[in-house]
Amino acid sequence: MAKVIVYPPTSMILSDLVERMGHKALVVPEAVRTLVTAEGIESPPLNVTPEEPKKGLHYAAVDVPSGVRGRMALIGPLIEEAEAAIIVKDPGWLTGCAGCSRTNELVRLLIRTKGIPVLDLAYPTDDAEARVFVQNIKKFLEGLK
Amino acid sequence: MIRIAQLSCGAEYSGIQKEIERAAETVGATIIFPEVSLEDILSVEKTFGVSVASGDLNMAMARAVRIVQNPDLADAVIVMTCFRCAEAAIIRSEIRKFIHEHSRIPVLSYSFTERTTAETLLTRMEALVTTVKYRGLLARERQKGLTAGVDSGSTTTKAVVMRDNEVVGTGWVPTTEVIKSAEDAYEAALKQAGVRREEIQALGVTGYGRFLVGKHFEAKLVQEEITVNSKGAVFLADSQAGPATVIDIGGMDNKAISVQDGIPGGFTMGGICAGASGRFLELTARRLGVDITELGKLALRGNYQNVTMNSYCIVFGTQSLVNSLSMGCKPEDVAMAACHSVAEQVYEQQLQEVEVKEPVIMVGGTSLIEGLPKAMEQLLKVKVLVPKHAQYIGAVGAALLVSGLLED
Amino acid sequence: MRVTKYVITSSESDILPSDIAMKIYGSKYDVSVKETCFGVIVNGEEKEIEALVKDIRAMDPSGIFIKDRGFPPGDPRRCRGRRGGGARPGFYMIESESKMLPMISRALASDAEAPAIPEKKKPIQMKKLEEIVKEELS
Repeated sequence: MAKVIVYPPTSMILSDLVERMGHKALVVPEAVRTLVTAEGIESPPLNVTPEEPKKGLHYAAVDVPSGVRGRMALIGPLIEEAEAAIIVKDPGWLTGCAGCSRTNELVRLLIRTKGIPVLDLAYPTDDAEARVFVQNIKKFLEGLK
Repeated sequence: MIRIAQLSCGAEYSGIQKEIERAAETVGATIIFPEVSLEDILSVEKTFGVSVASGDLNMAMARAVRIVQNPDLADAVIVMTCFRCAEAAIIRSEIRKFIHEHSRIPVLSYSFTERTTAETLLTRMEALVTTVKYRGLLARERQKGLTAGVDSGSTTTKAVVMRDNEVVGTGWVPTTEVIKSAEDAYEAALKQAGVRREEIQALGVTGYGRFLVGKHFEAKLVQEEITVNSKGAVFLADSQAGPATVIDIGGMDNKAISVQDGIPGGFTMGGICAGASGRFLELTARRLGVDITELGKLALRGNYQNVTMNSYCIVFGTQSLVNSLSMGCKPEDVAMAACHSVAEQVYEQQLQEVEVKEPVIMVGGTSLIEGLPKAMEQLLKVKVLVPKHAQYIGAVGAALLVSGLLED
Repeated sequence: MRVTKYVITSSESDILPSDIAMKIYGSKYDVSVKETCFGVIVNGEEKEIEALVKDIRAMDPSGIFIKDRGFPPGDPRRCRGRRGGGARPGFYMIESESKMLPMISRALASDAEAPAIPEKKKPIQMKKLEEIVKEELS
């Protein structure tokens, strides 16, 4: 079983396919869960406090916007943990944790420069593409230890 | 309850969402998020005019479109994005313009960092709520009866006494102890007006020390300086009808307010850099060995282009000025370079965030340093008005507004 | 640790969110369930949820999809009723991906070889464009 980070990091389809094929999908909701269930923090909605943008300095300099650094505090540790990655081309409707394009660019860069196996795909637009999409993911995941 | 629609990108991830909500709650408002559909977000290029790579900005634009289509959804709007994000800066400005052009809903535009707190947002939020809540009061054009206003600023405390739409007494003292300075300024204004304190029918206070001073005097009106100053400015400049832009460069912060019929429609308030404040000019005057009241006249004879300034900073910028002097630059050129530096920073950082429409009115003590409005005129390429009593703007605004609370 | 997961059904699946909820109610699992328009949200201890999810998948292996969720169901910090309205940002992504689920389901159910996808069209050669311009404007 490999730890696979998916991009978009909030994708239902990708995390489902990874998990149903026997691997561990590394996804943002897990990081959000850790925050929202943490005791003693009261910073709704996400319980992100100014501490997260500071933690994000590990991934981006202080002149990078706080929203990027705050998101990186959630996504960065997942990239560090990842053993493989599936990246789907930006579909133009990412919001929330994936709603900042500068963060998304940095996320893709850090994944690609980590030196782990990466599968590049685009969201399917018809049945033929969907079949290729699913089979490519299957083949890629089968090839992982 | 005043409903403030939040159109933002990055606030939740900067850890400041709670601060925004806390500031709103403090001023009796609640934050709302207009409902939009996926389709609204995806078609934002058609409805708003552009779509960008960041989905949360597209969502903010879709929400702006929704508010313009249904103005009853919100009483006011805050547009907030991360500081130092170019994509967001463009969209934040366009959202502000879009709402300004298509509705009469007041807009506050702000770029935040993770250090933004409820306290930073409070004055801004208070002004936003005032423009909604007291629209009737803000529409008042004439001062009536015998009223007074005190403006407890960070550097100076000002007071005026007004009778039947005329300023009849003024007081101006440097702020040392907040209450003592307010007492001194008020006493001076009363003395000049030739009236006793008991005769004053109502007193309004504004400025940094407004809560303390308001309590001390049992003031009838305690109001933030954005609405009060804009009111005072259009009153003194006789520009109560139609659009106007008010620029107030203060001792500790500066404000740019776009006004329509005497009511603020959009505004920004900056307070991070001393290089964009009156302090910079005070320091320059000291270095040049002239009184601050002489700096402006000196500057009018100078040319800023003869001096190389490498920084707006009150430390390094001033160093550039000193170096210029040692290299033979004339004091008048240095004085104008200082005025230009302050004006340019306000122009770059504040005036980009509001609609600059004529007349442009400069107020506050710094507007009397003649080189500063001159530098602003050069940058904006429009005539800048400095009304009589410009330094008493907050006190005049407070005296005018509080007269609206008198029984008829 | 308690975890929360979305169970999302493809619009072409014969299984309805209420079928899933009924199955959970009648099961041995001590979990909470909330029905939504696109499926159900389940919350419980991680081990139980993992086992439950396997059982639910078996109801329609290629038509049911699972997604992690950070917030417990009905958390007031994310509830639009208590937070001044507006869908939570993640909702739009679920909505977008849900539209693709029928395609993905059919692909998962199919044993057929993946077809060769023709290459996407490229812009025409400049020379060809020049010819067309001349032809059109002549």
